[in-house]
Amino acid sequence: METLVIISRAPYCDWTGRESLDMAFSLAAFDQPVTLLFTGEGVNWLRKAQQADAVQQKSVEKNLSAAPIFGVSALMADHKACKRYGLNEENMMPGITTTDLCAELLEHYAHVVNLS
Amino acid sequence: MSPHTPCSFTLVITGAPYSSQAPQTALAFARAVLANGHRIDRVFLYGDGVHLASALTSPPSDEVNWSQAWQDFLESHNIAGFACIASALRRGIVDQSEQQRYELPANNVASPFTIAGLGEWVDSVAHSDRVIYFHGGG
Repeated sequence: METLVIISRAPYCDWTGRESLDMAFSLAAFDQPVTLLFTGEGVNWLRKAQQADAVQQKSVEKNLSAAPIFGVSALMADHKACKRYGLNEENMMPGITTTDLCAELLEHYAHVVNLS
Repeated sequence: MSPHTPCSFTLVITGAPYSSQAPQTALAFARAVLANGHRIDRVFLYGDGVHLASALTSPPSDEVNWSQAWQDFLESHNIAGFACIASALRRGIVDQSEQQRYELPANNVASPFTIAGLGEWVDSVAHSDRVIYFHGGG
């Protein structure tokens, strides 16, 4: 019974992304299977070398890179959104699977959370 | 879902009162859930939704006090209401215990709401038949 947590808001624009991450990590901490999917402007969470301190925020790069260690099953990014925002293998953090966000994908999950 | 098969629900409210419709939509939904013979395991306030747990909400007298309406509903039906601790502390929603821990000048969580961790939500994901979200939008 896997949960999909979707992040579709840009990093640093509000707290929904961070609070979505907290949900995913909490599920993993309680041994509940969870996958993260970044879509829309949310794919920018995956950009390398974020300078979050410039807006007095904390970068989530370290948290995201540790996600598999904490038990998050997979980190996925919507292929179209990556293309739209110019994200590719070179400027995206490693360990991300690109996928097409579609109804068939969502059907794999018993529970889908999107705070946006 | 058959109307004759009782189900258990968890309601997650992420939209704040007076800046979104989420709390009143959720309350109408909650009343309908019980009226149709189903059960509500818990109500979980997350993100901006934690403002619903404030004891200091004071709208004009000709407007509904949604915090009070939710308190009354939870108490009368003996349903647990939780505000996520991380969301709450960020937004200045504090119980007596956290007031002491952070040496703050006041606390403002309205009973029967209590402060709790995301583990309550995880338990709902694992055990409630339906987990329904009420977002603020925008």
